[in-house]
Amino acid sequence: MAELVVLRNSHLPPMTPVLDACLPPPIHLLPGDPPMVFLVEGSRLFETTPEYFDELSNNPENVQRELIESLRVRNANPAQLPLPAPTAISLNVAQSCNISCSYCYADEGRFGGHELMMSRDVASASIDRLLESNHGQRVTVGFIGGEPFLNRPLIHWTVDYATNRAKEVGATVGFSVTTNGTLLNSEDLDLLRAHSFAVSVSLDGGSEVNDRERHSRNGESVFERSVERLRPLLRLPGRARITARATITRLDMRILERITPLFESGFSEVGVSPLRTSPREELALRHDDWPVFLGEMVRAAEDELQQLPHLGTLRFSNLAIALKQLHAGYCKPLPCGSVANYVSVSARGEYFTCHRTVDDPRFFLGNTSRGLLSEPRIEFLRARHVDTQQPCRGCWARYLCGGGCHAEVLSAGRSGCDYIRGWLDYCLRTYNLVLREHPSLFERRN
Amino acid sequence: MIPKIFPRNLTARAAVQLVGNPVTSRLESAVGNCFPGLEFDHRNLDRRFFVGLIFEFTDVGVRLLGVDLNDPDLAQGARLRKMLAGAAGNKLRNDTWFLNSISQGRTTIAISRDLGITVSWRLIHSLEPGRITIELSRRAEQAGDRVPADTVVLTGNRRTFVGSTGVISTAYAPGELSQSLCSPWMHDFRDCACFYWASNHPDIVLAEDPPGEATLPTGAPEDPVLALTPIDWLRSDRKSTAPAQATEDANRRGQIDHYEINKRWQDLGIVLRGREIDGIYQLQAPENANPLSTPDALCEKLVQLATLEHAVALEYLYAMYSLKDPATVKDQRLIEDLTFARHEILLVAVSEMRHLRWANQLIWSLEHAGLVKKNFGPSLGVEMQIPVAPDKSRPPQLPPIPGPVKTRPASLRPLEPDVLQDFISVEQPSGYLDGQYAQVLATLREKQFPATLEQLAARIIADGMEHFSRFKEVQVVLRKYPASKTYIRPITPAPADHPGGKAALDLYHQILAELQAAYATGDMEDAAHIARARSLMFQLSAQAEKLASEQHGVAFFKSQPAAPEKTGKKPARNIR
Repeated sequence: MAELVVLRNSHLPPMTPVLDACLPPPIHLLPGDPPMVFLVEGSRLFETTPEYFDELSNNPENVQRELIESLRVRNANPAQLPLPAPTAISLNVAQSCNISCSYCYADEGRFGGHELMMSRDVASASIDRLLESNHGQRVTVGFIGGEPFLNRPLIHWTVDYATNRAKEVGATVGFSVTTNGTLLNSEDLDLLRAHSFAVSVSLDGGSEVNDRERHSRNGESVFERSVERLRPLLRLPGRARITARATITRLDMRILERITPLFESGFSEVGVSPLRTSPREELALRHDDWPVFLGEMVRAAEDELQQLPHLGTLRFSNLAIALKQLHAGYCKPLPCGSVANYVSVSARGEYFTCHRTVDDPRFFLGNTSRGLLSEPRIEFLRARHVDTQQPCRGCWARYLCGGGCHAEVLSAGRSGCDYIRGWLDYCLRTYNLVLREHPSLFERRN
Repeated sequence: MIPKIFPRNLTARAAVQLVGNPVTSRLESAVGNCFPGLEFDHRNLDRRFFVGLIFEFTDVGVRLLGVDLNDPDLAQGARLRKMLAGAAGNKLRNDTWFLNSISQGRTTIAISRDLGITVSWRLIHSLEPGRITIELSRRAEQAGDRVPADTVVLTGNRRTFVGSTGVISTAYAPGELSQSLCSPWMHDFRDCACFYWASNHPDIVLAEDPPGEATLPTGAPEDPVLALTPIDWLRSDRKSTAPAQATEDANRRGQIDHYEINKRWQDLGIVLRGREIDGIYQLQAPENANPLSTPDALCEKLVQLATLEHAVALEYLYAMYSLKDPATVKDQRLIEDLTFARHEILLVAVSEMRHLRWANQLIWSLEHAGLVKKNFGPSLGVEMQIPVAPDKSRPPQLPPIPGPVKTRPASLRPLEPDVLQDFISVEQPSGYLDGQYAQVLATLREKQFPATLEQLAARIIADGMEHFSRFKEVQVVLRKYPASKTYIRPITPAPADHPGGKAALDLYHQILAELQAAYATGDMEDAAHIARARSLMFQLSAQAEKLASEQHGVAFFKSQPAAPEKTGKKPARNIR
């Protein structure tokens, strides 16, 4: 890693380009018609004239400085201290799973330990802790595992408990669940509808693709079973919002072919995630895979954009979310809300930085009986701030990317940065086109 | 705004809509009263409430400071301007004058000398726009002096402060509205430190080396005392490198004073990474480690590193169980500190165990790829000599001094402060372990090795970076307690015939046997052994906790060497 050193006894004047060489890039240039310039601070996107674009490219220092000064761009806010209490938790209600996925980060839900079911005591203590510092606020409770519906009675009980407790303190509570869908029954579907659940269903594609890495214990198709159980909900979602989420392994990086069968099965939103870490290393994307993956993402996005005029909405959620965030000028020095406003509770009742780090002592944040430890939270966020990281500090995309998933970066380092920059570059251009041709997509809906 | 750019997204649009001062910087949205510690001191505005005159709000009344014939707002009052340029102005420019009364409409307010600053300011501040008549009277400069009684009556406009475009009157000179506020060129800045107001300057810093002294590549002085001793940032004698005192009062005498700072603020040091700097930063070339010559040499290095990871993991575990069980203490602060310290140490120990596993995976992979001539692994020995930093006072950010590696004997010790310092020493960045893995990584980057192995080695390095800071954090937390017995149970390794100690050692040997089997099988085929080892570790943990409650620790090492060895390396002792 590059270190800064002092040039001693130098006769250089105090302000020279040398100083600027150490600073993170302030802008990102997007050639094209029209050419655009993206200001890193504040994630501001401008169109410009070809002449001014040339000036920016050819004489970057003075012209860029003039541009930045004219817009009074300030530094991004550092993480706020003291940290407020989180407003969202996930409960690992079942550290166990009824199916087995070859790439599972959670060791089939066991996180390297024994199978565990969360008790009512732990669930209620977690809810109480969440609400005690969020009177009158909106809070979110997520159910996660393993497969959370292996502990069905606790989910139903907890929704009831959280709703009543929230009422007592004037808070509102929203729910989410990440599930493989195979265990859902009609009572579960009613619960999801009635309590406006955000339901994230893990499915990697159609039956052939999905069942290749996601296996049931009895040999039946996980895809068929999941879709069969979800069909009534997809048809009549009520207030629930259902998304499918596909994990992309290096063995098959065709994205369009994965998401299309999911749309056909009735999902109105589908997102994908590349597999970066895996107990089976041959499944995780490697250095050479990222250009291919980027190409596949763009192919899927282009297909979706073709359909935008008649669908009126974007279903490929990676694209939809990116465009929405670019429109709003999303600009955060962290990749997600983990630790700051979201933590995860293990079945045993211990806090961890997120649902991916359960039972990993590196990410321990206290327990529900004594509460969250504040010092490790502050330290964690301080250390993870994107401006304190290399190579992030020197990257134009740092406030859009946030530096990558903490759990992945801390266990396997960063990879695929060129992919992220490529995808964001594509999304910035696409945003500008969509804003011109379908401005209603960005209108605020109440 | 530059006319050649056209905002597209919401943040861009917001940025270019703000022509002129952002709304939060306008007077009407400022946090203001009559104190200089806030964003705005209203007295600075109302001192020019009457066009052409400048006042000062004092304890003994509203005193005339001067006549300003250049006041642009006088353009609207030809008669007033004439008076101020003539006899009335001449009078006011000489002697001492105070505001006596103000009349607006049918109301006249007397501004007497005993009203105080804030009351007289409030009366003036609440004047309405439009015509006002003021009366000034001459007063003696000092009590007791006699001056002829005299008054001057002037009629003019109460200043509106901003014009039709919202711009503040140019009557105010640059800096006039912000004078006396907490800005670097204003003397209150010197007090904006941790003990008083929002801290916007450092209290203590590390010194840059004096001219002519040796400097290390990091910019730190080569003299470790100078490199690590905090000095007072506000020191008046800029050449002084005397250590900062512990309290503000003790430092106060030697600091740049109010008024002095107005002239000398530019002498204050620029501080980067906690150290004063007056040169220019430049990027340093990345560190390059020399690759090992053959795959066999690489394997040998890995075998040796695995034994070292194993040894320090055991030292850390032993030390962790020497910390009191939080469940057995009552003091809430101590409970939290113990929970934190135990957790951090366990985390480092677990991380070392993971390194042990990865090092073995590297060995296994090299063997199975047919890259080495003989079998090296699994490596589950324990290194009995632990490398130490050459000099404990040497700052951790400095590279090690070249020369033979100094070592200390591996030993099982409770977490006394000096033991913790030893742990910090072995884990320091660019220390022994870092350097060794950098060499492994450099070797694996060569073409003959599969890419996955390089990633594995990179992972070990990335993981190890945090050990140092975690131990430092533990040090900070435990330093609060003057006596280590507050948090330590003075455990000693359980004697060979102690039944609990024997049971713990049996578990440890079973774990090693499982790991031996797992690492011999290698790749992903070792899951069953690993799972059994993991479950045994939970049992061992419970047993170690029980032993510690009886003042004993697990005697992981058969015997602790008697005398420390100064330099060089001993071959690893193999368990099996």
